[in-house]
Amino acid sequence: MKYFKLPDLGEGLPEAEIVEWHVQVGDTVDVDQVLVSVETAKAIVEVPSPEAGTVAKRFGEPGDIIHTGEPLMAYEGEGDDSGTVVGELKRADAQTRKDSFIVGAAESSKRARANRASYRTRSLPDAEPLRGTRRTMAKNMAASHAQVVPVSIFEDVDIGDWHAGTDITMRLVQGMASACETSPVMNSWFDGETLSRRLKDEVHIGIAVDTPEGLFVPVLRDVNHRTMEDLRTGLQNLHDAVATRKIPPAEMQGATITLSNFGTMTGQYASPIVSPPQVAIIGAGSIREKVVVHKGKPAVRRVLPLSVTFDHRAATGGEASRFLGALIEALGKP
Amino acid sequence: MSGSDIRDVTLVEAVNMAIAWEMEHDENVVVLGEDIATNGGVFRATVGLKDRFGFKRVMDTPLAENLIAGTAIGMATQGLRPVAEFQFMGFIYSAMEQIVSHASRMRNRTRGRLSCPLVYRAPFGGGIHAPEHHSESTEALFAHIPGLRVVIPSSPQRAYGLLLAAIRNPDPVVFLEPKRIYRAVTQSVENNGEALPLDTCFTLREGSDVTLISWGASIMETLEAADALAEQGMSAEVIDLGTISPLDRETLLCSVTKTGRAVIVHEACRNGGVGAEVAASIAEGAYLELKAPVIRVTGYDTVMPYYRNEQAYLPQTDDIVEAAKRVIAL
Repeated sequence: MKYFKLPDLGEGLPEAEIVEWHVQVGDTVDVDQVLVSVETAKAIVEVPSPEAGTVAKRFGEPGDIIHTGEPLMAYEGEGDDSGTVVGELKRADAQTRKDSFIVGAAESSKRARANRASYRTRSLPDAEPLRGTRRTMAKNMAASHAQVVPVSIFEDVDIGDWHAGTDITMRLVQGMASACETSPVMNSWFDGETLSRRLKDEVHIGIAVDTPEGLFVPVLRDVNHRTMEDLRTGLQNLHDAVATRKIPPAEMQGATITLSNFGTMTGQYASPIVSPPQVAIIGAGSIREKVVVHKGKPAVRRVLPLSVTFDHRAATGGEASRFLGALIEALGKP
Repeated sequence: MSGSDIRDVTLVEAVNMAIAWEMEHDENVVVLGEDIATNGGVFRATVGLKDRFGFKRVMDTPLAENLIAGTAIGMATQGLRPVAEFQFMGFIYSAMEQIVSHASRMRNRTRGRLSCPLVYRAPFGGGIHAPEHHSESTEALFAHIPGLRVVIPSSPQRAYGLLLAAIRNPDPVVFLEPKRIYRAVTQSVENNGEALPLDTCFTLREGSDVTLISWGASIMETLEAADALAEQGMSAEVIDLGTISPLDRETLLCSVTKTGRAVIVHEACRNGGVGAEVAASIAEGAYLELKAPVIRVTGYDTVMPYYRNEQAYLPQTDDIVEAAKRVIAL
């Protein structure tokens, strides 16, 4: 059999979960015909056939996790991984052949280890393993918690002067872009290992999107150089791509700062989790009417609660506070 | 990469091929050792290198192992990537001072300011009818030293891929070549500069009843034993440690969790051998999955005998089969 190993699906994602096979054993397939849909931490990817041939074996069923470099499928015939070996190996001597071995443990061994009874009895009874996006969220949050030194600042902004129908998210992303000019460090990447940072010119805002499968954070790019109309279309496209789970992994990379707008749900303030190498995340809570002092008198005004969490390794409290001030100033305008 | 070609090579030829590839592609790689340049080395591992790369990069040294080891350290800390050969593992002990007290701890001592990217190659193990000091398997001495990697290939392909990885590794590697199988098999190896990962085991055979764990030349008998067991209806998984320090415990634990049984095979004497570390790791990590005690098939706790008795000393295929049957029957 000729093995086809799960190729790197981009960004060095180490594993993918089989969602659906599109070919059966015995099927004849053409080059580039879709073999299988797999779900990575980021998206559902359709894996095309690298060559024409007959399907001899499928490794794994829907729900199984395949690691990059492991056999995914095999074609009939002789040869090695079609992805890595060029040409057929010619043997002059009948005794001479190519070595074949598995780097590390065999799949069957890894499965046995993962499913071992003693492990199960010591963990949650009847637990289901996390998959896909939810699994990624769990890992990323734990990694952030282990590294980042978070500090949160909270403040309300009076948006009583906004015109009817103002797009809250658009105001927030534009306000963030302008606040980043006041405090550039809030729009930077920080590396805690080498204690170095890179201030970013462009503002790429990660927009946290809640889905039943877990948290997605598509990236709205270059916010400071785009018109509101353009941004709105861009954001809608990202939302659509997330909703259909067809968002390419590249669309979720490269954020320089993140917005978590939970105001459409419930809650005023939060201490959202900074996602390294980013330095800051902004939380926007539910807008409500409050009695506030307006032009020297008590008044019922619409108020938007804001939370800024920043990595205190990278930014000072002053920088974060000035960022919040600039954001409030931008949002307070009509 | 240009110029990749597929060659049928023995293990020792694969060593030569890997060194030549890396010398071709990294001008900092130099080789040194006794009779390695003009003569091509006692086992011909470095044959042809002096003609290709010149005597400034392929250096004959005096008969002084401590000097070879120390010179390599000096070169490595100053930016070269020396590959030093000891003719036999039995000659390496006079160089222990340099290897243990300096090479292994250069990075630590200088708090990362200096590193020591060198490879100490040495043929090891018995079975070639050699005199005293020429049949040693004392890999455990090096596995015990923090800061040293100890890598042992057991096929031409793994010799090629692991030696490339060892030369490119930023820290010192003791690369032990099982000379009994230097020319035992020929394999098609693509000369493409592709390294294999260090610090990982290799699963050579998948099986479900027992895990046979070995390294170096004993892999041959271990694979034969797996064949013999298969004929008798028993399915053995065969794992080659590849790197004996640091040990890839995860692969071992995965396999033993599946099979519930482990037999460790090594040519070195039993007492304090690497097999003991493997057995302890399995006991610590897979105790509840074990269906039988982990047992070892090893050489005896004596000096490796002269050639008339060396087969009596070396673990034989039948010994491994018997041991596996014993743990399977439990």
